Order: sequence, then structure tokens, then C-alpha cells
Amino acid sequence: MQALRKQIHPGWLIIAPLLMLVLVLYLGPILNILWLSVTDPEPGLGNYAKLGESDALVRIIWTTLRICLITTLFSVTLGYSIAYAMVHCHQRQKNYMLTLLLVSFWISILVRTFSWLMLLGRKGLLNVALEDIGLIAEPIAFMRNELGVLIGMIHYMIPYAVLPLLVSMDGLDKRVMNASRNLGATGSQTFWRIYLPLTTPGLVASTLLVFILSLGFYVTPAVLGGGKVLMVAEYISVQLLVTLKWGTAAMLAALMLFGVLAMLWIMSRFMKLSTVFGGSSR
Amino acid sequence: MQDKQFMKEMLTDSAHAYKEGRMDRRTFLALCGASGIALNAVMAGDAQAAADHVVMWNWGGQSEECHGSAIGDAFTTKTGKGLKFDTSGPLEGKIKEMVDSGNVTADVADADLFNAVALGPTGHLEPIDYSVVSKDKTLPGYALEHGVSVILYGYAFVYDTEVYGDNPPQNWADFFDTTKFPGMRSLYKWANGSLEAALMADGVAGDALYPLDMDRALAKIKSIKDDSLYWGSGSEAHSMVVNGEVSMGMIWQNRGRNIENDTDGRYKLVNNQALAMPGAYIVPKGNPAGAAAMQFIATAQEVPAQLALLDCLGMTPSNPAAFGEIPEDQQAYAITSAMNIDKIVYNDPTWWGENGGDAVNAFLDAIS
Repeated sequence: MQALRKQIHPGWLIIAPLLMLVLVLYLGPILNILWLSVTDPEPGLGNYAKLGESDALVRIIWTTLRICLITTLFSVTLGYSIAYAMVHCHQRQKNYMLTLLLVSFWISILVRTFSWLMLLGRKGLLNVALEDIGLIAEPIAFMRNELGVLIGMIHYMIPYAVLPLLVSMDGLDKRVMNASRNLGATGSQTFWRIYLPLTTPGLVASTLLVFILSLGFYVTPAVLGGGKVLMVAEYISVQLLVTLKWGTAAMLAALMLFGVLAMLWIMSRFMKLSTVFGGSSR
Repeated sequence: MQDKQFMKEMLTDSAHAYKEGRMDRRTFLALCGASGIALNAVMAGDAQAAADHVVMWNWGGQSEECHGSAIGDAFTTKTGKGLKFDTSGPLEGKIKEMVDSGNVTADVADADLFNAVALGPTGHLEPIDYSVVSKDKTLPGYALEHGVSVILYGYAFVYDTEVYGDNPPQNWADFFDTTKFPGMRSLYKWANGSLEAALMADGVAGDALYPLDMDRALAKIKSIKDDSLYWGSGSEAHSMVVNGEVSMGMIWQNRGRNIENDTDGRYKLVNNQALAMPGAYIVPKGNPAGAAAMQFIATAQEVPAQLALLDCLGMTPSNPAAFGEIPEDQQAYAITSAMNIDKIVYNDPTWWGENGGDAVNAFLDAIS
């Protein structure tokens, strides 16, 4: 009894009901998905074997990865500049910028997606204006293609990229940069060798956040892609609701889940993930 | 199981008591709570508890109002039962999920006849009771074991008169001809209708479409891919046309009517070679209202209901007795009107029920 009490901290008993609830409500459905992926339509690894047989599936996964990588690259780069600007301007401007950022963060994804159609569509504000002043003869195809999907996704993801970076930059000790300049480093040297390495945890956090969220995008590709940009989330939904190939859908869902977990595991080999998510580095 | 049955009966009784005023609200809710039923489940499953309603599972929007006035009122007069709606859209996967979960809350689903072919043999649907529902009040071939066509909708197309004013496109061959008719087009994203249109454009006769030659159809679809957009919902199809994103768009014929009227005829609907799709009412297995669902379907087959659905929703009658009564101002828009009926082709729900899943995936692969 004594030994047992030593091993299990009494705090666990207090949160045990909650943990059980999470286990049942969260792990249950996930296990169900995994189970479906090896039992529907027939038991075995047939659904996973399709990955090797079907060019279509591989192409969809590749499209998804490509779009997510480009989205992540642009969102994080733009997000980094925005966060950098916010940290280094006056409090007043910083508040303005934060408000604008949060307003766009809170607007529904549907509204933001359809707004892009109005701005950049074939008969949208920009194309009509350019045509009227005679700069272009034919409307530029910004929307209803992969470019449209990227514009919509990057715009949606920028706040997600900025917020972790902002926290990380805000927490820096500014004297370190002053010391660097004092010791003779140039501005860019200070940035590349001091500032950037110190903000790496924030950078990794925002990269992971943006990439993982991008993987599940559904509305934006469906609307802005004009039907030609098929990403995994939409494909899963079609398999569930229209073609009734639940096994294929479950297999793709499981693949995404393990993909994300594998990514986190690889990251954890290189750095302590707890620092990324705000824990202490010790 | 025994427990579940007991709870259900107990709640049904108490719901009746509550309705008649023999039980107060608090006690009723307490009973619901005791049996582990959340309040919204009681609300949604109200019909189940009281068994004096039929729940129609449709696609929301205008259809809620129209199904109520066109069918619901007559149904209530005839049977004394009310009509409620679940407007979440009965996609095939959702019907399967509902039946598999054992918690069936809908009685009649406003679906496609090919859904009946796909879900019937797997035990997800109640067979249609043809002693109540009439086989003669729909087109031959559209009264199947697990579903009956109540309305028809058509895959037709609209074109922009400002682009093709003098020499308008007249059939699917013109629709797929980007040299004679340059400009963007839009097609349905989930294969239905698009494949048939492609084959007709490629020279296949309207009565020789099935079984669909997938390779030939997809090759034709791909041939205009650079000039095509694809829509996934009626509203998206509508907005692609009226926002000028496309000069020609495949569209459900009832939407085409709205577009033509909303734009004062700038966009014109072409019903020539329209593909008539049998919209069917199907009944999920173990539906709460039981046999009342069949009476509801029978009511929807009657001529007045058929004409009211045409007027309100633009859905074309499938009961041949109603064809002759289509009013003058709807002749151009109803695909089974005297004006159009000789020009349309008919969908084969059996082919789609059996091959639809693979066809959709092949189509998605071809366009993405």
C-alpha cells in the first residue's frame, strides 16, 4: 500500500474521471476509424494496399502535401515579418495590428473564402478594374485553380503563424541583441546569428501548427479550386458520404493521423517539443 | 435491448401525457433525463415519441416550405398526422450511418433513385409498400423495390445570351465544342449527368447511354478540362453562372428556371437532351412513423402535389397523369411537359446504384 501510494501521486485520482472521459470519447472513435480501415469492405490490409495500386490516391496525397508545404512556407515567412514588425513598433501601432489580425482570425472561413472570389474572381474587383484601365485584355485566373486555393489558405493561416511567433519574440531579452551590436556585429549578422536562432522554438511551433491545420482543409480547396484541386479532406468526405467506401476514407484518415504523429516524433529527435509548446527548456 | 424498449415506451407514454396536459413539463424533462436522453434528442425525436408526425429528411432552403405546402398539408388533411423536417441532406453515407447507428429519426428521405438501388440490398431501406403507393403514378422503370420516383429533375444547361446571342448552343455537342463556342463552362463535380452529357456530345444516342462507356466519357470530359470549372452544389452552380465565371453551365433544370427569371432572360435554359433524373422518396429501415411514411409518399404522387412541387420548387412531375396539366408558363422549364418530353433522355438508376461509387472516383481522378 505504502509503495503504491508512492508510485501514484494522489493528484492523479482527482483527474482520473476526466482522463477516463477523454480516453473514452477521444480514443474510442479513433480506434473505431483504425478498425474500419482494416475491416471495411473486407478484413485485411486491402485499403492500405490501394496506396500502391492507385495512382489517383497517390496524386491526391501529393497534391495535399504540396499545397500544405507551400502554404506553410508563405504563411510562416509572412507571419514572421508581421510578428517582427509588431514587436518592434510602438505599443499603439502594435495594438492596431493585433486588432486587425484578430478580426481576420475570427471571421468565418466561409466568409473569407467567398470574399476572395469577389475580389479576385473572373468578374471580381481587381480583374474588372484592370480591364477597365486597359492593363489586361483577358481576366487573370487568380481563382478556381491551385493559385486560388493557395491564396485562400495562406490568408487564413497567417494569424495562426503570427501568434506563436509573437509570444516567442515578446519573450526575448532585447539586451542580447544590444550586446551583439556592441561587440561589433552588423544588423544582419545579429539577426541571422542571434535573433533567428532565439526565435526557433516559435518558428517551429508556428510551422507545425500551420502545416497540421492545413492538412485538414476542406472548404477552401472545394470552393476556390473550382473542382480541380482535390485534397485529402474533401476526398475523405466524398468516400464517406457519396461513394460509401468507408474503408478507403478510414485508411486516409489513419494515414494523416500517423503522418502527423511521425512528424512530431521526428521533431522530438531534434529538439525538446515542450519548449515549442511553451514549456521550459530544462 | 429490453431496457431500451422499455425506455422508449415509457417516453412515448409520457410524451403523450405531456402533450395532453396530464404531465407537467418538468416531470417530462426529468423522465427524459432519467432515461439518458438529451433535450435536443427529445426535440428531434419528438415525432418518434408522439408517433403522430412524419419526419421528412430533405435539403433545406426552399424545399422545407415547398414540401410543407405541396405535400404536408394534403397529408395532414388525409391522415391527421403532421410533417416535420430534418434539413441536413440525406446523402447516401448519412442514411447508412443513421440506420447502422440504430437511431433512425427520419421517415422519408428526399434522395435519388440510385440511392435506393445502392442501399436497398444492404438492408438500409424499407421496401416500398405498393398496396399504398402506386406504380402507375410514376414513369415505368422508376418504381423500384426500395424507392419510387416522385419528381424528376434534369441535368440541362444555361448559356449567356450576351456571349452567344446570335448563334446559341443547342445541345451537348455544342456545349463540349470549345472552338465554335469559346468560353468557360461548368459541370457537376460528382460525375452524375456530366458523364451522360459527355457521351451524348461524343455522338452516343440518348437511349443507348447505358452501361456508360467510362473511358470514352472521361476522354471527352478531359478534352475541355482547361475550359471547365466544376460545381458541387446547386448554389455554387448558380453563382458560377450569374457571377460571370462561366459562359455556359450545366445546371439542374429547376435552378435554370431561377437563373433565367432572376436575370430577366440574360441566361437562357436549354432543356434539349436534358438528362431526366428520378428524384426518389426512400424510407430508412426502422423509421419511427412506420407505415405512415408510405401514405406520405402516396400523397406526394397525387397530381395536385406534383403540380404544386413544380410551381414551388421547379421539380418536374413524374406522374404521367400530371404531364398534361403542366401550366403554360412552366412548359419551357418542366422536362416532362409536352414541349420538352420528346427531347429528353432518361437516367438509369440501376447502373448508377451499382457503379456510381467507382464512377465518381474515376471522374474525380480525371478532373483533378
